[in-house]
Amino acid sequence: MVNPHVRMPDDSANGEPPRRDFLRLLSTVTMGGGLLAGYGTFAKFALDYLYSADDDSVWQFLGRTSEFKMGDARQYATPSGAKIVVARQAEGDSPESFAALSSICPHLGCQVHWEAQNNRFFCPCHNGAFDPSGKATAGPPAQANQSLVRFSLKVENGLLYVRIPAQSLSLQRDA
Amino acid sequence: MGSWKTWLSERIPVNQAQLYELTNEPVPYHLKRWWFCLGGTPAYLFVVQIVTGILLAFYYQPAPQTAYESIDYITNQAAFGWYLRSVHKWAATLMIAAVILHQMRVYFTAAYRRPREINWMIGMALLLLTLLTGFTGYSLAFEQLSFWGATVAANICDAVPYVGGFFKQMLLAGSSYNDQTLPRFYILHAAVLPTTIVLLLGVHITFIRLHGVSQFTGPRDDPADNRTFNFFPDHILTELMIGLVLMILLSALATIFPATLGIKADPLTTPEVIKPEWYFYVSFRWLKLFSLTFAVLSSGLIVAAMVLWPWIDAVLRKITRIEDISIYIGIVATFLLVGLTVWEAVVAH
Repeated sequence: MVNPHVRMPDDSANGEPPRRDFLRLLSTVTMGGGLLAGYGTFAKFALDYLYSADDDSVWQFLGRTSEFKMGDARQYATPSGAKIVVARQAEGDSPESFAALSSICPHLGCQVHWEAQNNRFFCPCHNGAFDPSGKATAGPPAQANQSLVRFSLKVENGLLYVRIPAQSLSLQRDA
Repeated sequence: MGSWKTWLSERIPVNQAQLYELTNEPVPYHLKRWWFCLGGTPAYLFVVQIVTGILLAFYYQPAPQTAYESIDYITNQAAFGWYLRSVHKWAATLMIAAVILHQMRVYFTAAYRRPREINWMIGMALLLLTLLTGFTGYSLAFEQLSFWGATVAANICDAVPYVGGFFKQMLLAGSSYNDQTLPRFYILHAAVLPTTIVLLLGVHITFIRLHGVSQFTGPRDDPADNRTFNFFPDHILTELMIGLVLMILLSALATIFPATLGIKADPLTTPEVIKPEWYFYVSFRWLKLFSLTFAVLSSGLIVAAMVLWPWIDAVLRKITRIEDISIYIGIVATFLLVGLTVWEAVVAH
C-alpha cells in the first residue's frame, strides 16, 4: 500500500505545485461539488414536494343576475370555508353591478361576522371592524388601511359567476 | 460469573474507571438548591411527552374529517385515554414553564457569559422549538380555538417580509387551512420537532459537560467555598426526587383538571372570544397593541436580541460600566412579560 502522504522524489522537483497535490485537490473539489449538487437537487425536490402549490381557483356559478335585487345580500361558502356575501350594488348586468365580499379578515384570517346593531362587520380575533362596503374602520386592519377582499365576478349569458380558491377543507367523511 | 463479564467487556470495551470518569462530573455545591436543577426538569418532562405522545399516536388520526373524533375516542372511550391525554397536556404546560424558568435562572445568574455563549444560543433554539411543538400539538386537537389559532399563526407568518409567504405556504400546504394542513402539523409535532429537540439537547448537555457547570456565588455564599459533590449518585438522586414529585404533580393535575375537548373546528365561524394557549398571551396582546408589520418585526427583533444576548450584554457592560445591567433589564422584561400575559388573561378582547 502506498502512503499518499509520502512525497515521491519527482513530485516537487522544480518548485512547481506537485502533481499529486493537484490531483488530490481536483478529486476533492469534484467529489465535493458532486455531493453538493446531488444533495442540493434532492433538497430542491423535497421543497417543491412540500410547497404544494395547488392554489388553483375556479369559477363558481351563483345564479341568474335577474335573481339579485337591490339591497339583497346572499351568502355562499367556498370549499375551504370562507363565506362570501354577494350583493347587487347597481342596476345592470355587468359584473361591476355586483360585489362579492369575503368574510375573511385581511389582518390574520379570522372570520368576521355582521353586527346589525353596530352596522358593521366585526372580527373577534383582534377587534377589527369594517363598514358595510368592506372598508376597515377600526382595529389593526384600519391601521393598515386594509379592506375585506372582493372576489372577482363575471357575467355570462345573464348568469353570475364568482372566482374562488379551489382548495377544500372537508369536515365530513364521504358517505 | 467471570466468563460473562469477560464476554461483555470484550464486546463493550469500557472499563469501570472510564465509565466513572465519564459520568462523574464534579458538581458545584450550589446545585444542591433545587432551582438550579430546572434544566433537568424540562428534560424529564420531555421524556414523559415522548412516552405519552407515542401512546396517543396509536389512536390519533390527522385528517380534518377524523382528528376531532379520534381525540374524542381517546378522551371518552379508550381505557385511561383521558389520563394519558391529560398528562400529555399538563406535561406540555409544565415543560414550557420549566424551560422559561430555566432560562430565567441562567439569565439572572449570568451563566450565559463567556465561554458559554454558544450553549445559550442552543438553549434559545430549544426554547423556540418547545414553543413550536406546543403550538403544533395544540393545533392537532382541531377544536375551534386551535383551528383559529393555527389560522392566525400562519397569517402572522405571512406578515414577515420576503420569506413570510413561503413559510405560510409550507406550514399550511396552501394559502389557507385545507385538507393537507393537519398531517403537516402532525408530522412536525410528532417527528420533525422532537427529533431536532433530541439532537440539540444532546449538544446542549455535551456543552455543559465540556465546560462544567458554571460557578456561582450568591450574596450570602462564601466565595472560597469550592466544595463539589458527585454527579452520580448524588445529583442523579436529586433529579430522581424531582422526577417523582413531577409524576405525582402530573397525575394530580391530570385527575383534578383533566384535558377537555371544546367545540369542533368550524371554518365558517370564528368564536366570539378567541385566545391562544397561555404561553402565547404575550404575543397575542402585542399583536392587538401594534400594527401587524410592527408587531411581527419587533417580536423578531426581541427574539434576535435574546439569541445574541451574551454579546449584547458584554457591549452594554463595557459602555455603561454597570456590571449588573442585565439584571435590571431582565427585571423590566420579566415585569413586561408577566404584565402583558395577565392583561391578556383578564380581558375578553
